[in-house]
Amino acid sequence: MAVDIPIDPYVVPALDGVAYGLLVFVAAAGLVLCFGVAGILNLAHGTLYAIGGYTAAALLDGGWPSLLLALAVGVIAATAAGALVAGLLTRVAARTHLTQALLTFGLALVGGSLLVRAFGPDDQPVRVPAALDGSVVVAGHRYAAYRLVFIVVAALLAGLLHLAVRRTRAGMLVRAAVDDAEMVAVLGVSPTWIRVGVLAAAGALAGAAGVLGAPIIGPGPDTADVVLLLSLVVVVLGGLGSMTGTLLAALAVGQIQTLGVALAPSAAPFLLFAAMAAVLAVRARGLAATRRTT
Amino acid sequence: MSLTTPRRRRARTAALLALVLLAATGCADDGPGAGPNGSIKIGLLASLSGTYQAVGKEIRDGFELYLSTHDGKLGGRKVDLIVADEGNGAPTAVPAATKLLKQDRVLALTGIVGGGSVAAVYPLLNETRVPFVGSNGRPELKDVSRIWHTSYLSDEPGEAIAQHVRDNVKGSVYAIGPDYQGGWDELRGFTDTFVKVGGTLANPDGKTTFTPFPTTTNFTPYFARIKASGADAVYTFYAGSAAVDFVKQYAQSEIRDLPLYAAGFLTEGGVLDAQGEAARDIYSVLNYSPDLDNAENRAFVAAWKARYDGSPTTYAMASYDAAAVLDRAIAAAGDDPTPESVNAAIGQLGQIASPRGTWQFSPTTHAPVQKWYLRQVRQDGRALSNTVVGDLATVGG
Repeated sequence: MAVDIPIDPYVVPALDGVAYGLLVFVAAAGLVLCFGVAGILNLAHGTLYAIGGYTAAALLDGGWPSLLLALAVGVIAATAAGALVAGLLTRVAARTHLTQALLTFGLALVGGSLLVRAFGPDDQPVRVPAALDGSVVVAGHRYAAYRLVFIVVAALLAGLLHLAVRRTRAGMLVRAAVDDAEMVAVLGVSPTWIRVGVLAAAGALAGAAGVLGAPIIGPGPDTADVVLLLSLVVVVLGGLGSMTGTLLAALAVGQIQTLGVALAPSAAPFLLFAAMAAVLAVRARGLAATRRTT
Repeated sequence: MSLTTPRRRRARTAALLALVLLAATGCADDGPGAGPNGSIKIGLLASLSGTYQAVGKEIRDGFELYLSTHDGKLGGRKVDLIVADEGNGAPTAVPAATKLLKQDRVLALTGIVGGGSVAAVYPLLNETRVPFVGSNGRPELKDVSRIWHTSYLSDEPGEAIAQHVRDNVKGSVYAIGPDYQGGWDELRGFTDTFVKVGGTLANPDGKTTFTPFPTTTNFTPYFARIKASGADAVYTFYAGSAAVDFVKQYAQSEIRDLPLYAAGFLTEGGVLDAQGEAARDIYSVLNYSPDLDNAENRAFVAAWKARYDGSPTTYAMASYDAAAVLDRAIAAAGDDPTPESVNAAIGQLGQIASPRGTWQFSPTTHAPVQKWYLRQVRQDGRALSNTVVGDLATVGG
């Protein structure tokens, strides 16, 4: 080897980038579903994540049963909130994206205020199951046990999501609706129900991400904004209607936020948006946008 | 087709960002109602929303505690305390300070969490000639003739602990902190003094590593760099939610066995509860600890515990002292206290008895000349607390 690049110091940031990227993927997948299928820009998406996060903070007590309970409650609550957004959007669904954005942003503000009123203005501490509240040695490096397990669980979720979209009837309808909503309506499936279903599913994903990701992006007054911003960046980077693109974009965001910061700390504040600008300049439709015919 | 062009999407993201920024400005709590005739108006500006709201509330509570234990009077006069929200910094602090100084026309201003906010409010103070008894952040200022601080200068904690770290760490120390004025000052105070007394920094280029603030929530990449540097200890300063993230992630990182030294704010107040076990054994330097053994502190801590949950912090103590300073200065300012006469009286106070021990204003910096303490996070009954383990340097002036 002509140049000896020390790889060792970057093992942990790279691993952490995967954990972070998968979290962003599960959080952003719902937003992509909403935007790509229902044509709704749901700016309340970050709030759905925050609902999951606050549920985790409130219910987790260091044991496994509480994690399952928090997951169930968080997913149900966020699903219901997603369906509520869909219901409130029914009247304006036919209008422009600006109307939807205004309505959902208003919902995000209201939801954020309600959460702060209920849980207080401080960042909430989250207790992970005691068995995972430590660190393990990976390839000679110490790494948080919870994050390691999170990588496995989130990868599982991503796989399930892929199967659901590819193999199930609901997934087929969803994909059909992306391509030609009118034809799906002609088949006898109400677009309204697809919209409600998609927003509820997006809520479920965001809720699950919120509960499981609470120890990584914890619940606090800023959580909804942070998650929404990261999700929007992933949507821009990954293009719409492609889960593969979303996954690639989310993993890229994860690496930029960890490995990128480790390699070039002085550029840390700009890396994410510089990468976004670069992708937009080169490929305006995102990293892996599917080719479409109109 | 539901797709929009990326250009419009970007515009929308920008619009969203602007909205989010606007939404971040919170609303102020109202102070107690106006007193009877002859009362005086004191303005208190502190972060009641945003990143430092925990600190802001301590500052408000500390001042109110002094009032409630002194019949709501300062210098024998009923006080109409007007509280305003500083928010996250200058953009929200300036309008709030303008209201207090120009509309309410307060006799004196106190509080202010962020050094940046103080710098931004400084021209207003000069214009209105109102004395400011700050209880937390203190930036570099040219003319401090009407500026007083009961807290500390941002570079003093690091200055006070540098010799101790030099004597107790065998090897080099890695310096890391948040990338804003307060972080630069805190870290400079440490690194300058540490290098002067013969210490070696582990940072590759000998310069402190600064992390973007407040956007950094994941410190893992930085820990990897610290590991790679071969450091034997770490010195840092974070406060608020960044302190919680830093400490929790540090405890699970590959550098968890390196001793962690910090300006006391890393483990001060509510953040310690959120950090929990992860904070155990962290050393910090601060001008106060609730377990200090003196009469003023015992009375202060007892009054605090009777009124609020938990133990008082240095933030609350400094604000309590700001009220004590104003109390004595207003009493000494004569029958008709004006901003000018109160300011002149503050300069004549001399020794001030305080829960932190006795201190006095430095005639040059108008900040305290005070003793600093080395504390360690240890078990205290059922909870973890910052326990004083030794005296450090007396710094100031």
